[in-house]
Amino acid sequence: MNLQIFESQLPAMSTKLSFFAQPFLGDVNDGFWFPTQASSFAAEADWVYFMILWISVLFFVPMMAFMAYCSWKYAKSKGTKAESQKSHDTPLELAWSILPSFLLVWMFLQGTWSYLDIRTPPDGAYDIGVQAFKWGWTFDYGNGTFHPELHVLKDEPTKLSMRSSDVIHSLFIPAFRVKKDVVPGRYNYMWFQPSIQSETVSESELAAAKAEFAVAGGAWDYEKYQFTPDGYRFYDLFCAEYCGKDHSKMQTVVVVHETQEELDAWIKQYSVRPPGDEPAVYGEKLYNRRGCGSCHSIDGSKRVGPSFQGFYDRQHEFVSGESIIADDNYVRESILIPKAKIVAGYAPVMPSYKGQLSDDDIDSLIAYLKSLSSAASTSESSASGTSDQSAAAVTVESAP
Amino acid sequence: MSTLEAAEPDTHGHDDHGHDHPAFLAHHFDTPEQQFDSGKLGIWLFLVTEVLFFSGMFCAYAIFRMTRPDVFEGCSQFLNTKLGAINTGVLLFSSLTMAWAVRCSQTEEHKKLTALLAATLSCAMVFLGVKSIEYSHKWGMGLLPAGYFTYNPNNPHPEGGTNWLIWLCLPFALLLVGVVIWLVISVVKGNKFQTACAMPLSVVCLSFFLGVGLGTILESGEAQGGHDVAHADADHPAGAVDAAGSVVSQDETVVGGGVVRERLVKDASNTGLQDEFVARRTQMELATGTVVTDRSDVADAVSAVPQEVLTPSRAGVFFGIYYCMTGVHAIHILGGIGVLVWLLVRSIRQDFNRQYFGPVDYVGLYWHLVDLIWIYLFPLLYLIR
Amino acid sequence: MSSGSIPKGRIVRDPGFPTERENYLTTSKGVFSWLFTLDHKRIGMMYLVGVTVAFLVAGLLALAIRFHLLAPGGWLFNRPIFKSFTDKDPNDIYNQVFTLHGAIMVFLFIIPSIPAALGNFLVPVMLGAKDVAFPRLNLSSFYLWVFGAIFFVSALFASGLDTGWTFYTPYSTTTDSSVILATMGAFILGFSSIFTGLNFIVTINTMRPPGMTWFKMPLFLWATYSTSIIQVLATPVLGITLLLLIAERTMHIGIFDPEFNGDPVTYQHFFWFYSHPAVYIMILPAFGIISELISVHSHKHIFGYRFIAYSSIAIALLGFLVWGHHMFTAGMSSLTTIIFSALTFTVSIPSAIKVFNWLATMYKGSISLTTPMCYALSFIFLFTIGGLTGLFLGTLATDLHLHDTYFIVAHFHYVMVGGTLVAFMGGVFHWWPKMVGKMYNEFGGRISAALVFLGFNLTFLPQFVLGSRGMPRRYATYDPEFAFLHQVSTFGALLLGIGILVALVVLMYSLWNGRKAPANPWGGATLEWMCTSPPPFYNFDRAPVVGDPYDFEFIEWDNENERYVTAEPERKLAPGQKPEPVHAKH
Repeated sequence: MNLQIFESQLPAMSTKLSFFAQPFLGDVNDGFWFPTQASSFAAEADWVYFMILWISVLFFVPMMAFMAYCSWKYAKSKGTKAESQKSHDTPLELAWSILPSFLLVWMFLQGTWSYLDIRTPPDGAYDIGVQAFKWGWTFDYGNGTFHPELHVLKDEPTKLSMRSSDVIHSLFIPAFRVKKDVVPGRYNYMWFQPSIQSETVSESELAAAKAEFAVAGGAWDYEKYQFTPDGYRFYDLFCAEYCGKDHSKMQTVVVVHETQEELDAWIKQYSVRPPGDEPAVYGEKLYNRRGCGSCHSIDGSKRVGPSFQGFYDRQHEFVSGESIIADDNYVRESILIPKAKIVAGYAPVMPSYKGQLSDDDIDSLIAYLKSLSSAASTSESSASGTSDQSAAAVTVESAP
Repeated sequence: MSTLEAAEPDTHGHDDHGHDHPAFLAHHFDTPEQQFDSGKLGIWLFLVTEVLFFSGMFCAYAIFRMTRPDVFEGCSQFLNTKLGAINTGVLLFSSLTMAWAVRCSQTEEHKKLTALLAATLSCAMVFLGVKSIEYSHKWGMGLLPAGYFTYNPNNPHPEGGTNWLIWLCLPFALLLVGVVIWLVISVVKGNKFQTACAMPLSVVCLSFFLGVGLGTILESGEAQGGHDVAHADADHPAGAVDAAGSVVSQDETVVGGGVVRERLVKDASNTGLQDEFVARRTQMELATGTVVTDRSDVADAVSAVPQEVLTPSRAGVFFGIYYCMTGVHAIHILGGIGVLVWLLVRSIRQDFNRQYFGPVDYVGLYWHLVDLIWIYLFPLLYLIR
Repeated sequence: MSSGSIPKGRIVRDPGFPTERENYLTTSKGVFSWLFTLDHKRIGMMYLVGVTVAFLVAGLLALAIRFHLLAPGGWLFNRPIFKSFTDKDPNDIYNQVFTLHGAIMVFLFIIPSIPAALGNFLVPVMLGAKDVAFPRLNLSSFYLWVFGAIFFVSALFASGLDTGWTFYTPYSTTTDSSVILATMGAFILGFSSIFTGLNFIVTINTMRPPGMTWFKMPLFLWATYSTSIIQVLATPVLGITLLLLIAERTMHIGIFDPEFNGDPVTYQHFFWFYSHPAVYIMILPAFGIISELISVHSHKHIFGYRFIAYSSIAIALLGFLVWGHHMFTAGMSSLTTIIFSALTFTVSIPSAIKVFNWLATMYKGSISLTTPMCYALSFIFLFTIGGLTGLFLGTLATDLHLHDTYFIVAHFHYVMVGGTLVAFMGGVFHWWPKMVGKMYNEFGGRISAALVFLGFNLTFLPQFVLGSRGMPRRYATYDPEFAFLHQVSTFGALLLGIGILVALVVLMYSLWNGRKAPANPWGGATLEWMCTSPPPFYNFDRAPVVGDPYDFEFIEWDNENERYVTAEPERKLAPGQKPEPVHAKH
């Protein structure tokens, strides 16, 4: 009974205590030790953390004080005999071996109880598919809607079904205190329940960023703007298992929506090609959104796979020795069965996108590839053209 | 009082160190017993590391057999039980001669010791000879680890491939020629010690080819049954199910060789056999690894994303494990042959006596362990039913 | 009793100084007398040089890592100078550098550092034996180490290594860097480690002198013995794992690579079955050193000898049962995860026992704050932090957040560097007079200890916070919010580097300008202090008789000659009685 009272008071204590450590670094929202507690597990995990922390401090400080005291008090000149040659004291030793064990058991139990919560997804949790690849994430919202950002609903238990198309990755959301490896050849699952919704930035701020982005071109810089292209503040999502060259860039964002309607609206926006979009324009969006760019450049530089600049309608040599002019069929095959034909000088590492792209998506990508080739061949100053195009893409994309 | 040196002057100083040491006693040991005990403990510890070394592979074996028993059972049919059994017998016999050799080294029967060591060596060579038949046969059929698995049930013996047997025999043939030349030279020169060494060694080299011959006879005896039932256990009746797919899966699939069975399967009321048939067929497809499950349902999205990583040649896993286990074991046999040759030469030099027989004893223990591992490998790989 | 005077009526014993012919360093000359030596002391010294070189190389790589992380977008490898000799991406360079830092530190430095270098030198001397049981095997261990090192270096020059030191599949089976060369290197080093361990087990079992029962062995020997057990039992599994990895890469056997139906998590189980016990291969010998250092420099009997000895064995055995705690996030079943978590907590108890015992040893001692003692004290401080932060990682709820972040990095550096490296340096300073026969500058030594302590804490304390705030490890670039802590850490690393450099200079300087070392400069009671400094070729002219290794009653300070000596009261022997026989039998 006493223990229960003690337990119920500890969380309050620990938040008070963590408050002491606050002023060192943090942003307004963050504590000194941890980012914002944005999921239902966060408070629990942090509570366990602070409990262990204070128990450790309780041991560490007296021990070090004792050590310092001894090395000051008993520092003697050479040849002085020690005051005592006591070689053992079995009861004392047994005591300090056994008594801390109870604390350990308690820590273990606390950690395990919280873990079991984290481990078992409730029935009927909202399911989102996750595909991890070198070096990016694709989240599958069902009905053919894929997006590199993770959008979830506040207070709704959300389950992620995760698979990897190449090496081991690990999905880590510090604000939610959850992490799980994504292992190729098997599905791994995790779940969480977000507790704080993401704020939206003001229209003017968003418009200013959009304007700046339109000039700069390229991919959206989350770090710089600190909100998504749709104007949401976000939580970081990292890859925590080393996966190669751009491991440190394998980051994306988590946005927590407040209402189901808001989330649905967001998903709908990305579900199919918007009526007004040209296939080539939509193709570019797909190129950015689905992470094609992590392997295929559009400026001619060599990455893991061949660059898309001037790729379409050109002769390509394959590892097998054949060569072919890249046409619609070849591009389609390469997306669905990437290992059928490997361009000479590259490794067969591309995962298949079968089942992840609709026919219209593939057509859009082909159209985009075509546009890249024609742009490259018609004028050398394709740079301005591309940025115009992306500006157009953004304006359409931001329309709610 | 912690320590003090003995007050009494001792002649055991390092200047005249070793004055009471026999030649075989290393300088840092005090007594032959201490030296022998150290060696014995050392070799036992070494054997422990060997067991743990193999245990890694046994673990892998256990994990994969547990997760895909069908593949293991099916693929095991490709291993020739007769050859495995012969090899088991040969190794068991070599263990006997080795144990006897240890005894002879203690009783100082030098001639007998040499003969027994040579017998052990010959058995090891026969083992390798049989093994090279097994390996070359499987390589020829494309029964290889997953990455190179090219076995085609339609054409199990593709023409025109490398003749692996020649390459496997080549080093041993060279060795034999070398030893024989050495024998001739030493006989001509009249060097008795070298003659005594080269004689048993040429017999040993020759026994490799004895093993090859033995293996060839047994293997070809198998093949006469016709290829559709080939490579199954000879004790297996011709109509038995050759599970891992020595027969193709076309429309008119014949899973077993038997016509009766085929007819029975077509009987719709015989659901038990039909289920088995379907199971075997699936297993066969998976074992050959040629089928990529086609799931192009777009709406089903990520969860339907291709089983691509799961498809190619499951059978390759079995052969991967098979080659790793037997290959590492064969390397241990080769290592054993190396130390046995060293022992043979020393035994001809009459180095061992009742006070100093440690090396024979230690090598004997090692050899028994290598045998023991084979005795586990044989049923685990060959006798899965 | 006043200090510095030896009571009257005592028999003073001191072996004096070795002649040039006796001294193991000078008894034979020429490069070949070293390369083909079977003397455990010379092999130990060759190891010492080897592991130090490996440490310096890996240490420089560590500095390179820290300087790359000076700026969020990466600093060092973005410098134009790197563009001039490699066309690799800065991220690629970073990945290769941290991989090599880890691999060299683990396989070439930490694992062989204390057992192979100090252990080789000390085990037979502490046993009063002339050599280890198998001197030829000992030499071949050393050459295996050299070959392993060559493989690692050739991997570096072939096409680098970018898998992380753990060689996780399927990354390691698909990357195009020289994984095979490096794993071959690690495989060979594994055998070096196995043979060293085997040698020590046999030596300690069969070559203890008369009178030295198991519980009269110095604690360093207990620690070495436990370490050797792990080396013999765990390393073969690493060997087969790496062999299977090589087979997977070359033949695609389909065990670890999901593309061929293998299971990457199986690889992790195999790998950590070795590599977790390997953590104890690294830290147990350090415990042994600290037990010696604390007792000798406090001139007081070690407190709770049996608890310390048993806890070493307990750690060695429990260490085999906890490998799964490296994989809490990998997707094991809940039950397995919880069991591994529970077992992990049990390992922390024996480590805690040792720390309590060391503190109790200091209480009411006569402490000399010499360089080795300074290192020992900083060991206790740093290792306790390392151990306590392990609790956060063994607890499931917190590990899910902290796993694979900088918290882990900080935790294991507190154990590996703050623990093993600091103990190793303390051990080297402690036995340096014995090994080379020269005293070093005490002041310089203490400065180095202070710099190492400060630099180390400055480097790694901020990393705990980085980790709990969510900074994942092995990132070549990072979000700007982490920049300040990374910069503090980099500054600390520089200080740590300077501290190590000072230590190196102090030791090197002593070789030429140091005072000749007496046989017993610190007042130790174990056998190595009973022979000359440096020991003669055969260690002991006459095999010693052994008592309690921590009995300091008759160790007295001889102020005139600046040395400790054994001064015992004269004992009358009964007529006709001979002193204890030296050997049980001849």
